[in-house]
Amino acid sequence: MPAAAALKVLVVDDQNSVRQVIRLALEEIGVRHILESENGKDAFEKATTQPVNLIISDYNMPEMDGLALLRAVRGHQTVRKLPFILLTGRGDRDLVVKAAQTGVNNYVVKPFTNALLREKIEQVMGKLA
Amino acid sequence: MSKIDELKNTFFDECGELLQDIETGLTDMREGRGTEDTVHAVFRAAHSVKGGAGIFGFERLVGFAHVFETVLDNVRHEKLVTSDDVMSVLLQAGDVLADLVGMARAGEEVPPGFGDECRHALEKLAGSEEGGGDASGDFDGIDFMPVAADDDFTPVAADGFDDMADLGAAPGEHTFRISFKPSGELLKKANEPLYILRELAKLGRLELTADASAVPPLVQIQPDNAYVSWQGVLHTMQGRAEIDSVFEFVVADCELEIVEDLPTEAEMPMAPVAAMDEPVEAEPAPPMNMPVPAAVSSPPLAPEKPAEASKPAAAKSTAGMTTRVDLEKIDRVVNMVGELVIAQAMLGQVVRDLPEDVAGLLSQSLEEVIHHTRELKDSVMSMRAQPVKTVFQRMPRLVRELSTKTGKNIRLEMSGENTEIDKTIIERLSDPLTHVIRNSVDHGIELPADRVAAGKSEQGTIRLSASHRGGRIVIEVKDDGAGINNERVLMKARERGLIDANASLSEDEISNLIFMPGFSTAETISDISGRGVGMDVVRRNILDIGGRISLKSDPGRGLLMQLSLPLTLAVMDGMVVEVGRDNYVIPISAIVECLRPSASDIRSVLGTLGTLQLRGAIVPILRLSDLFGIASARNDVADSVVIIVEASEGARLGVVVDELRGHQQVVIKSIEENYGIVPGIAGATILGNGRVAFIIDVDRLASLAGDGRDSPAPRAEPKTVAA
Repeated sequence: MPAAAALKVLVVDDQNSVRQVIRLALEEIGVRHILESENGKDAFEKATTQPVNLIISDYNMPEMDGLALLRAVRGHQTVRKLPFILLTGRGDRDLVVKAAQTGVNNYVVKPFTNALLREKIEQVMGKLA
Repeated sequence: MSKIDELKNTFFDECGELLQDIETGLTDMREGRGTEDTVHAVFRAAHSVKGGAGIFGFERLVGFAHVFETVLDNVRHEKLVTSDDVMSVLLQAGDVLADLVGMARAGEEVPPGFGDECRHALEKLAGSEEGGGDASGDFDGIDFMPVAADDDFTPVAADGFDDMADLGAAPGEHTFRISFKPSGELLKKANEPLYILRELAKLGRLELTADASAVPPLVQIQPDNAYVSWQGVLHTMQGRAEIDSVFEFVVADCELEIVEDLPTEAEMPMAPVAAMDEPVEAEPAPPMNMPVPAAVSSPPLAPEKPAEASKPAAAKSTAGMTTRVDLEKIDRVVNMVGELVIAQAMLGQVVRDLPEDVAGLLSQSLEEVIHHTRELKDSVMSMRAQPVKTVFQRMPRLVRELSTKTGKNIRLEMSGENTEIDKTIIERLSDPLTHVIRNSVDHGIELPADRVAAGKSEQGTIRLSASHRGGRIVIEVKDDGAGINNERVLMKARERGLIDANASLSEDEISNLIFMPGFSTAETISDISGRGVGMDVVRRNILDIGGRISLKSDPGRGLLMQLSLPLTLAVMDGMVVEVGRDNYVIPISAIVECLRPSASDIRSVLGTLGTLQLRGAIVPILRLSDLFGIASARNDVADSVVIIVEASEGARLGVVVDELRGHQQVVIKSIEENYGIVPGIAGATILGNGRVAFIIDVDRLASLAGDGRDSPAPRAEPKTVAA
């Protein structure tokens, strides 16, 4: 059973406010190591050079969008198994389908509660201690 | 304010920029200036509003943004042609979106049916399948099968966390636990631990923690001894031999332990986590021969991107760009800088009075202080400064809505939006500027048919610009409408008894009558500009923020409104002058020149006024001593100093004073707040000698003196206009 405090989560969104909300939610779940990225390109670099064991990423971003990031991660030799949760809006079913085909591990629809986020993380990572 | 409320504010601030991007982008598209990138930018901005709104649960905003975004997506993929009709719907949608953001920010309930018309228009453009835009958030029936590049990928969730910890341990990858403690000998042989670690990092993914606990206090440090050691993990495709070769030359001069982890010992790769529990922002691990006692522990060394990359990302991503500071805090600094300016002036006075041998060194240091104070003032002022964009950005929508309402075809061109000006001035600029633009749309620009009849293009243009000019900000509103109908203005003014029936006025003076209280020429009061707020209020508003407003009418061809504003309200450059035993301050920005005229240049005219022959031009002069009833030491104007000042509308006036006392930065203290409005006095300040001096309101001087000839500035008293 993984300890939330030991999780290292990379949060990817170009909007600072959204990143901070996710950070807040993660912190309340007990996650203590949170990295942030403003775009897919930077996220990919962080994911491949730093200890990260979960990516939570938005779709819509400049430079490299969430799907492209997912694709890049899945195609990378050492981090290809990295769990990946996609943030999505209501009504973005097509996007989620596409992401599932690309290998996303789960998705979270905005807005979410802390409980929902925890649930989604647990579905991917296993029960959190 | 709770954390989440703060984040909401951050979101709304972001929205401001995003909405501006949408507005600008759509306007460019409508004008045919849009490129492919423009459409993308608008789409992304709408999507970002939706994304942020989603996370904070602003449902109406999300719903609307979603349909908006869908239409933009169609445009983006060229499924939809941006005809005028489509652009009109999109621009409207931008407005509705802005309104929804505004309501969300204010915490207002969105009225039922709000924006529905626009939404339906969007839905029509989006295509029928978008009817269910508000689909539920759960997408059932999608299987999240983790897809891997090769077949040995096992679903992460099923295997639980222990497998997770081993993430990245691809087949063939080894994990080594390394402990490395160099000795002093290693340094003496000119080896460098940092280079060794870099070599090591090249082999794979390296996670190291530096142990600096053995570093002694600075005084005890021996530069040639080694104090720091490293422990950590290396994930590599290479074998033990490659690792050994990295340490080949130093193995005798360090304590080295390299242990290969078996893949089943899952907790191993997680070891660095514990080390990271208290992330310490530190510089890259210092080389041993340059000990840094402060570095207690260094973050893990990642290949190619050392310590810097491991710093908390939050700080990195935002801190570099902006910090939100309470305005009150800045104002406190502004006030303190103001006091500092005064204190420094007093110090200057004291230094000047000292014997020269003592004063020499002191005044040199004082020069430094003056220099720094000035820079400090400028930087603080720039902190308060904001681009006029914040006001300008509301105008396109205003013009759009008004032109629809009036059936006119108007294009708004803006330039200089990035010109910066004090925040307080910006806040108080919005109303008068809005009014001026309303006027241009309502009274200035003609109906399309009338324009064609007058030989003009069907589309009217309003140009809104901002620029720096001689220490002030000049904002211009220029339209190519009908200009001011002077005949009608004159008639109205006479009708209302605003001017004497026999007064002969120049064309400019007549146009300026519209600034007089109680004046309105609109034949019917329209719901656009005839709201009981006349141009006199606009003028008052501008004067209140230390600005000036002037107009230039070109009948039949257009009107130019010029607003000249100070950069700041708190501190200004002033010329200290002496009249009798009192000191006054005249704003440097208003001064054209100072001179001692010869007696032959001066002609006295009955009353308090005289005139001065200045290089062929005749300038009215005014004695401050007469105006304020002060016993002046100099009775003869030729003995005095004349300061030529430029009041609003470029009118010149010679102000006669006894002596110039010097140029000084003064802090403006309001006397209105503590005493009341004094005509001709804009405020007060404290001089270096501790005495109070009044600041002259140059614009009001002319009207106080009762001059009517060279200054077309409207007078408060109708009689003076007629004079």
